[in-house]
Amino acid sequence: MADDLKSIKRPERWDVPYCQEGSGKDSPEMTDADVDRLMQTPLLRQMDQSRFPESTSLRDILLNDSRLRQFKKGNIVVRQGDYGSSAFIILTGTLRVVLDTLDASVTGRQEPQQKSFLSVLAQLWKNPSEPEVRNLERKLSLGSGDTTVVTAGDTAVFVQDVSAIIKDKRTAELRAGEIFGEIAALSRTPRTTTVVADSDTELLEIRWQGLREIRLRSPEFRDYVDKLYRERSLKTHLRETAMFKHLDDATLNKVADVTEFLTFGNFDWYGTYSTLREASAAERIQKEPVVAHEGHYANGVYLIRSGFARLSEAYNHGERIVSYLGRGQTFGVEEVEANWRDGTQIPFRRSLRALGYVDVLFVPTQVLEQYVLPTLPKSKKPQDSFDTTTLRRQPVRSKSSKVSPEMLEFLVDRRFINGTATMIIDMDRCTRCDDCVRACASTHNNNPRFLRHGPISNGFMIANSCMHCQDPVCMIGCPTGAIHRDSAHGRVVINDSTCIGCATCANSCPYDNIQMVFARDANGRLYYDQATNQPIQKAAKCDLCAAQLTGPACANACPHDAMIRADMRDVERLAEWLGKQ
Amino acid sequence: MTLRSRRNLGISLFLAFAAAFWLINYVMTVRLRAAATVSGLVLLGLVLGLTLFNARKKLPFLPLLRASTWTQIHIYAGFLSVFLFGLHTAWRTPSGTFEVILAILFLAVAGSGFVGLAVSRTIPSRLTIHGENLLFERIPAMRVAVRREAEELVVRSVTANNSSTIADFYEAKLRSYFVRPRFIFSHLVGSRRPLLKLISEVDAMDRYLNAEEKEVMAQLAELIRTKENLDFQSCGQALLKGWLFVHIPLTYSLIVFAIVHGVFAWSLS
Repeated sequence: MADDLKSIKRPERWDVPYCQEGSGKDSPEMTDADVDRLMQTPLLRQMDQSRFPESTSLRDILLNDSRLRQFKKGNIVVRQGDYGSSAFIILTGTLRVVLDTLDASVTGRQEPQQKSFLSVLAQLWKNPSEPEVRNLERKLSLGSGDTTVVTAGDTAVFVQDVSAIIKDKRTAELRAGEIFGEIAALSRTPRTTTVVADSDTELLEIRWQGLREIRLRSPEFRDYVDKLYRERSLKTHLRETAMFKHLDDATLNKVADVTEFLTFGNFDWYGTYSTLREASAAERIQKEPVVAHEGHYANGVYLIRSGFARLSEAYNHGERIVSYLGRGQTFGVEEVEANWRDGTQIPFRRSLRALGYVDVLFVPTQVLEQYVLPTLPKSKKPQDSFDTTTLRRQPVRSKSSKVSPEMLEFLVDRRFINGTATMIIDMDRCTRCDDCVRACASTHNNNPRFLRHGPISNGFMIANSCMHCQDPVCMIGCPTGAIHRDSAHGRVVINDSTCIGCATCANSCPYDNIQMVFARDANGRLYYDQATNQPIQKAAKCDLCAAQLTGPACANACPHDAMIRADMRDVERLAEWLGKQ
Repeated sequence: MTLRSRRNLGISLFLAFAAAFWLINYVMTVRLRAAATVSGLVLLGLVLGLTLFNARKKLPFLPLLRASTWTQIHIYAGFLSVFLFGLHTAWRTPSGTFEVILAILFLAVAGSGFVGLAVSRTIPSRLTIHGENLLFERIPAMRVAVRREAEELVVRSVTANNSSTIADFYEAKLRSYFVRPRFIFSHLVGSRRPLLKLISEVDAMDRYLNAEEKEVMAQLAELIRTKENLDFQSCGQALLKGWLFVHIPLTYSLIVFAIVHGVFAWSLS
């Protein structure tokens, strides 16, 4: 082998069992005896092991993708708002789910670790001259690297007096045999509640890769999880929605009883994304499943639970986009409220279509008129409330109407609305000086983590940089969980130590924003696999400069205010920035 | 803050500082104090401060304000330095070789800065609307690829049609166009006349060609347009990057000369 190569063993899935990963790596090692004991729990006992292939047997999944966790009374197990990547099965003890939001000081929310001023400054002379330098011989030292890994369940926050802190909060009890945390783990969303140990407990924590595998192979487990998912998701989401917040428990339950949980489109939307992107606008819109039709009777209100939806109105022979809706936004409230208030029969003014997939909650008009609208406080009434007599003549007003329809079409059709930190460059101001690229390289060991290139519309470029998506499909299929959300900010980051270079994330990213790079040692020699002689690869992408003191160095370094890392959920700010230019 | 309101703020601050310096200079001159020493020291300090922007660019990982804020400060402080230079020299041409060189250096730095500002504000939008936006570093390779494609087309045409008409035309009119960047001055001034002239020459060949050859010529015309965009993007981006190669070295020379000038002035005062 040539001198410029260095031989090591290629990293593989399960090289690092879950019990050794992250800050929960103090968990005891899973043994065959542990697995035998787990197989006796009711939830796992009912599973047919023959449905699992030999290479990923249920026992192997439990050995490698799960770990046993002990929590003392008062420990917070998961925190509301954290991006979890695992679910928990209660083996012994009881836990309490806090349905209301707890104060941050109680939950001890931690910022991810940042570099000190000196270590930041040291980048000036310490950055290696060779590209993609790593120390792989250090054999997978976990939990650090360029980014901070804080896994849900590893919060290790102790609440002194649980009963006093949660006495004014709405809570529910969880007992042995029950599962929790599965919603966040399976739907790539933040934890919806905080869970505190009510007694000394033992939990089985399963990372989402294993959870998906089990869900795929065991229909019983799938049915059970789906049932919980629907039940828990529904109630939590209703409680989060402004128009239901004023309702007491009894009334909310009545609303929940008749609320329908609907799914439109395909959860694996990214599979057809590339082909659809090439289709004409008319073809694309034809393929989008319609949730509600413009001109149809306003039969209820739709609440977006996850995914995205296009809001459009008929224009000549086509559909003109008005806006896009994401998690937490509603459709049809104005019409239903106006009809109830004025006794009219105004139909839906716009159509609602699933972009890829969308999970919605549907609350019928009759229920809203009976339980919700009569007691709706004035402050919660729809801001876009209108005069029904002039309805048809009024242009549709929305925050996004400040963004040109062409720009909206561009952002929606290419699904850039998925980003929470989309890199947008104003090409009329960008002098192509590449200060942004150099700043990125300086903060990442001389390796730029984005490409100043990408599609352009209306003079604005969406550059090839990780957008830190609301629905990060890149995380699907990562066999080790190396790509994950940091729990404090929701940034999608890669734990370089556990990345095995399988390129699943890079292939899954619909926007081609993850690069596979060849790892080298400090002397620039390529690492290669002892068995296959193939070079060792690692996935690399923008981490929003999580470890730096400045935030994203790229946008900070732009001398002409030509760049923004835009959260596409904040359409108002986006419109303001686009308009400012 | 919109860009307009930011511009208004910058101009207001510039005018306020300029007025303050003018007043101080006027009062000191009337009272027969060393106004030139003060304005010279402030000017030197300002020029040294302006160079810090380049240092800031080398330290993107330190929380030292956004680079765009530095740019704004740099622009208006640059304007202010020109005003101070005027006050310092009493708006007269300096005498003495050293002072003339120093003045020329200052004006060259200020002038290149103004050119840079103008270029930075006008070229990007022209690059955006002109055609496909390209990475500067990739343009030479793309130029080679376009030339190869054109040559392959011509060679295939000769073989297929048993005629050298297109090859002769290529050799006479197009070869020099494809082998290197062309029409640089036209690109700088925004003229498309040379391109249109070349395309019209291609069109004029049409009457002498059969159907297959016409198709080849149409493809060549498309490659001419592609090459024109490559040259335009390359030229525009080179200008956007290039002015700094004048501005920065001149700045360092200016600083050296200004310090020597200060030392002389101080020792002789």
